Amino acid sequence: MAKTVFVGMSGGVDSSVSAVLLKEQGYHVVGVYMKNWSKDLPGMKCPWAEDLADAKRVATKLDIDFEIFDFETEYKQRVVDYMLDEFKKGNTPNPDIMCNQEIKFKLFYDISREKGADYIATGHYANSKDGKLLKAKDDNKDQTYFLYRISKDSIAHTIFPIGDMLKPDVKKLAAEKGLDNAYKKESMGVCFVGDVGMKDFLKEYLNTTEDKEKYLKPGQIIDRETKEVVGFHDGAIFYTIGQRHGLNVGGGLPYYVVGKEMEKNIVYVSKNLNDDNLWTKTLELKDVILRETPTENMVVDVRLRHRAKLEKAVLKNVAGDFEKGIATAVLEFENEIKRTASGQSAVIYVDDVCLGGGILK
Amino acid sequence: MLDNDFIYLDYAAATPVDSRVFEAMKPYFSENFFNPSAPYLPAKHVRRIYEDYKNELAHTIGAKGNDLVITAGATESINLAFTVLKNFENANCIISKIEHASVREAAKNLCKDVREIGVDKNGLIDLKALKNSIDDNTILISVALANNELGTIEPLSEIAEIIRAVRMDRLSRNDETPLYLHSDASQAMSLIDIFVSRLGVDMLTINSAKVYGPKGIGALYVGHGIKLSPITFGGGQESGLRSGTENVASLVGFATAAKIAKEHVNGNRKKYEKLSKLFRETLVKNLDGVIEPKFLGNQKKQLANFAPVCFDGLDAERLIFKLEDEKIYVSTGAACAASKGEKSHVLTAVGLTDSEIAGSLRISMGKTNDEEQVKTAAEKMAEIVKKELERIHG
Repeated sequence: MAKTVFVGMSGGVDSSVSAVLLKEQGYHVVGVYMKNWSKDLPGMKCPWAEDLADAKRVATKLDIDFEIFDFETEYKQRVVDYMLDEFKKGNTPNPDIMCNQEIKFKLFYDISREKGADYIATGHYANSKDGKLLKAKDDNKDQTYFLYRISKDSIAHTIFPIGDMLKPDVKKLAAEKGLDNAYKKESMGVCFVGDVGMKDFLKEYLNTTEDKEKYLKPGQIIDRETKEVVGFHDGAIFYTIGQRHGLNVGGGLPYYVVGKEMEKNIVYVSKNLNDDNLWTKTLELKDVILRETPTENMVVDVRLRHRAKLEKAVLKNVAGDFEKGIATAVLEFENEIKRTASGQSAVIYVDDVCLGGGILK
Repeated sequence: MLDNDFIYLDYAAATPVDSRVFEAMKPYFSENFFNPSAPYLPAKHVRRIYEDYKNELAHTIGAKGNDLVITAGATESINLAFTVLKNFENANCIISKIEHASVREAAKNLCKDVREIGVDKNGLIDLKALKNSIDDNTILISVALANNELGTIEPLSEIAEIIRAVRMDRLSRNDETPLYLHSDASQAMSLIDIFVSRLGVDMLTINSAKVYGPKGIGALYVGHGIKLSPITFGGGQESGLRSGTENVASLVGFATAAKIAKEHVNGNRKKYEKLSKLFRETLVKNLDGVIEPKFLGNQKKQLANFAPVCFDGLDAERLIFKLEDEKIYVSTGAACAASKGEKSHVLTAVGLTDSEIAGSLRISMGKTNDEEQVKTAAEKMAEIVKKELERIHG
């Protein structure tokens, strides 16, 4: 009897080809569209209905069953509210990482298993083997950065059908199969991802009088070196450490955001690319998850942004329950690294295995 | 006209431009491109042509050119019609529960008190309920001549009769508050010979895109003495109601298309009655009794080119995608509603269950369809339906 796979289908080319491959491999495939977000933002139409139709079209052509899992409530509670809380603290959270942890590899996984799935599958560029999360073949597309927080159990029951393919080959295969999705514009996941989208998103959701008064008000931009007020911003909440653009400060060398004071609504900037706040050799992590027990002072590779190059580091002082993702740890880097904003993730690799990672304090 | 390898059965959504219409439009893009309001002779010539075609268009519905406001389509026409409410305080309006979104939204946005009248299982408006919901503040009643999902032809002249009685009653009490009847005739024009006086309407929306004319142009017939408010402000074209340089080429196209439609109304009806019968019979026969298709609406009171059908328990969207693979194009409900993933308010209003609504397809035939195409489509549809049933029930 064929094993049953529930494949998350977003309507994009990657998950569509994943469904095709699973079907060809002889699985009993059920396509699932996860409805996480359907709200339009000002000037931005949420394409969920089109995405859903695109996913369903592929499922229909493959003659597989197709279901819609409505996760809007849970997505709001577990991803959106988390993001708002983090932004309010002055941090820069990553919605995709949280979505994978809470929605795709928890809710979707649990419900699919309840409904009889032996495996789930997604169109991520990643691999799973013997319960381990491995980098994708396509180095340029590898998405393990976004997947580092998913549980060991879900990895053991997840198939990544395109993990051994290169993106151009995925598109080619889609075109060969006559899937219109081959020509679809790359989606960025949820509608509000991206710089502009995030700002609109925050403006829309910081809608209580209290939030508006606290976060959506003009404040000073201060040059950390000269202590001078060099401009004004429309809310410190919109700014991220290391950010270069959008400061409305004209002329000369570019300014970089080097700090924020949420209570006073002040954004600190610097023209000095060597500012201490921009560089570091040490990162302190919280919410650390590791799927294998680390050795003491273990040498690891670390990725600080999706697609960023790997940095050598030593993983130290792991304390707390790392299986549950609530440990703390320290990363000592071999070279000075450009500091990323608190709330962002440092993802830890040993060779091709994504061991886990943590969130920057 | 269409030399295609596909079978198109969604004429209620869009029609291809007739080659004669296209030919008639051509001179007004690059040769006679002048602004009709410009002062030199070639421009005056264009103005004359515009007015001539406007008259011809008006004649197809038994009106005069001056009675028409040319707009950018049915949605604009409908929005313009509803501006009549702006002149009255506490005005209410009445629409049917199965009106197109353009009517529902225009009503919602321009009127505080919108009264929706139910329909029977075939989509025919409840005249008694309509009559009862009229009061002294009712200014506008808007009911489509033919529904866009079911093709149901509404009893407009009977509604007009009710309205006449109300008017008489108001006048007898020295109440000069008007009561107007507007109808959206977008779907009906190529199958019903329209005369505004016979229908008894005060305002009528017509649409080029559904009668083998270009998209983006429509008109509102406005009876004498009806005061509307502008929907765009500018150079004062179209009696100041719809400012903006006249779209001469498109109006020429629309008028030409409307004339052709009018000439063929009777022939069309006979042709589609035959094709519809063939479609229905072929479908039933080829389904071998595995499922009983439910044809929606009452054919006697339905546009002849409509054959909406419901397969209870099946997913219409899947059928569409499967048919699309066979290059047969059909739709569910209104294209605009379908793209939003909403449940059809029309099918809800005629009392279909959620499962029936999910299994409903809109088949609407047109010029390019012949017996062979319709038969092929019905056979393929039956085949696909049977396969889907097998997939579900194993």
